[in-house]
Amino acid sequence: MAIAETVLEVILNGLQQGAIFALLGIGLTIILGTMDFLNLAHGALYLIGGYAGMFFIRETSLSTGYLHSIGVTTIGLGLGFAAAMVLVPIFGFVVGLLMERYVAEPFYDRPETDQLLVTFGLALIVQELIKGVVGGTTFQPASPSTIFGISVGGPITLPIVGAYPQWRLYLVGIAVVVIGLTYLIIEKTDFGLVVQAGTQDSEMVRMLGIKINRSYSLVFALGAALAAFAGLIGISFQTVSPQIGTEQALIPAFLVLVVGGAGSVVGAIFGGFVLGITVAAMTVLASQWAQIVLYAVAALVLLFRPEGLFGSTGVGE
Amino acid sequence: MSDERADGGVADSAAPSLLTRLSEHEFAVVGASALALLVFPFLLIDVLGLVGELEIPLLQPVAALLFVGGLVVTLAASVLNKVFPRALLERLAVIGAGALAVGSVLGVFVTDFSIGGYSGLPSLVLIYGIIVIGFNLLLGYTGLLSFGHAAFFGTAAYGAGIFSAQVSGSPILMLLFGTVLATLLAWPIGFLSIRRSGVYFAVLTLTFGQMLYFFALGPGAPLTGGDNGYSDVNVGDLFGVADLGTSLPFLESIEYVFVAVLFLGALAVANRVINSPYGLIFEALGENEQRVEFVGLNVFRYKLMAFVISGAFAGLGGALFVMHEAYIHPNTGYYWIQSGDFVIMTVLGGTGSLVAPVFGALTFEYIANVIPGLSLPVIGSVGSLWRLILGAVFVFIVWVFPRGIYGALSDLVGLVRRGAADDDGGEP
Repeated sequence: MAIAETVLEVILNGLQQGAIFALLGIGLTIILGTMDFLNLAHGALYLIGGYAGMFFIRETSLSTGYLHSIGVTTIGLGLGFAAAMVLVPIFGFVVGLLMERYVAEPFYDRPETDQLLVTFGLALIVQELIKGVVGGTTFQPASPSTIFGISVGGPITLPIVGAYPQWRLYLVGIAVVVIGLTYLIIEKTDFGLVVQAGTQDSEMVRMLGIKINRSYSLVFALGAALAAFAGLIGISFQTVSPQIGTEQALIPAFLVLVVGGAGSVVGAIFGGFVLGITVAAMTVLASQWAQIVLYAVAALVLLFRPEGLFGSTGVGE
Repeated sequence: MSDERADGGVADSAAPSLLTRLSEHEFAVVGASALALLVFPFLLIDVLGLVGELEIPLLQPVAALLFVGGLVVTLAASVLNKVFPRALLERLAVIGAGALAVGSVLGVFVTDFSIGGYSGLPSLVLIYGIIVIGFNLLLGYTGLLSFGHAAFFGTAAYGAGIFSAQVSGSPILMLLFGTVLATLLAWPIGFLSIRRSGVYFAVLTLTFGQMLYFFALGPGAPLTGGDNGYSDVNVGDLFGVADLGTSLPFLESIEYVFVAVLFLGALAVANRVINSPYGLIFEALGENEQRVEFVGLNVFRYKLMAFVISGAFAGLGGALFVMHEAYIHPNTGYYWIQSGDFVIMTVLGGTGSLVAPVFGALTFEYIANVIPGLSLPVIGSVGSLWRLILGAVFVFIVWVFPRGIYGALSDLVGLVRRGAADDDGGEP
């Protein structure tokens, strides 16, 4: 019984982490694949999504930071999680549009290292701005108790595992739906076709008379919206601090990218869940080694299957 | 220097060519740097009790005004000149540079001038200088962007620290042990990582660095002290006689002299590598890897060598760092942000020349260590906001001056020289 219980719990925890990884990875991979743009500020989008989510969901009392110093003690709209699920991706989408227009576009023709560096600098700026404005304190996770009138808080009794936080099951469901929708957009719509064609040969797509620049903005914004949504999911069960962007999002997103294969949405989804379950399993087996094994898996894939599990060679070389 | 002449700076053709010729001589490079290092502590610490402050009213504010005003005017003119090339802006740059020069002379010799800092900072800047000189061999010349150089920095730091506690506290032996350890580690990591290029290379180096980070934090804690950091560093006397902490007149401390000598040594080695036939191939790899391969050279071997050399530089820096701080934590030793800091410093300074990254190291450490102590009118104390300022400066430099601070400075010199030539009666 004990083994079955552990295995099931590992799978559940792995699915949660994997869903976040996959959401982040999809965004990064379509941006890299389509625009050949390396976005080190992807973690910052996760961070923005997380804080925006917290702002929409509840009222949070502040103890440090600029806002506190001018007398604002609580911020937040207290709209609840359902509203945040709509507002956060929209917010992320808008941020992504602006970022594409004003940060990414001037750098499309510059060397890859310049792109890396300017977005790395941007990630620092976003993180420090948030730290400066709302303070560097760690906030509690913003898990909802009801959503659309359905009670999602508290524990639920599962067959083998026993008591398990109910919210975390819903969370996996929501993430899977969003990932599925993204998959459909990329695989089944004309827009997705343009994006995929752009991944393989953007020059050719342009010559066919398709306004790929407009698609660029949309792809970037879509990636940003997904990262922001990942942030919202993340803060609903993990603590929130300005470091979550660089510590919990950016590096995993890159690992997912290389494991799944640059430019491949299926690869990012698969890579996300593989890495998520790896971390969850190792946390149970030998928690000190969990992160080491995560990086080792990525290194092994890079060494023995450089195109990733689903990718094609050539993107990002 | 040569590209300044290329974009029209024909003002005096003798001087740049002399400089160009000089910059190819190892003795000139190292000698000039040695002179610069002699005055370097003055910049960051108030060590000038020499002349004594003259009690002339208004002189200090005037000097400060000339200095800051000159700096702002020169910078503004140079940035604007990029967008609207006008002779007026060139003149303005000359005037600004003149004010800056007068302000600095007044500031240094009459009032007790420094840009702020504390003792120990000059050594720290030079330690990072050594690392980024080596890092630039890889990034600037060979064109490989590593996001895992903290692996060598941290390993050398921990190695040297543990060595000092367990075996011997002799600084020379510590450095030797740390550097050798880092070099031995750079070999296999380079051997594996070089197989991939672009982002894949960067991510691969990053994974190795992060594995070491989590090892030092968790399973390796008995050795490294884990999250508490390693503080048993026990640095002995240099050559058995000189305590590194002894302060010296003018040159801060024995430690500074020791670090400065090593810095010059590192500079000489890097200079020799770059100007050797072997090093020319590094540069060729950065320009066009395929052609190097077609010529029949073993690309892999040269890349690996560049990687190992830069790893050794990072190792030397790491060993010096632990000597300087007497403490090392996984976050400062191994975390990928540390690797990112090396990248930032190098790019901030500029990747185009050997000493350029050192300017980046100076700027970075200045922002990290001096700016937090400042207090600004609206925001109040800067404190932990320094990374915000760093990010802003970094983005600005990458955006506007792709060749880094050093490139911007040499553009500025070119501009001022052109402006001055115009004042002297136009085209010579």
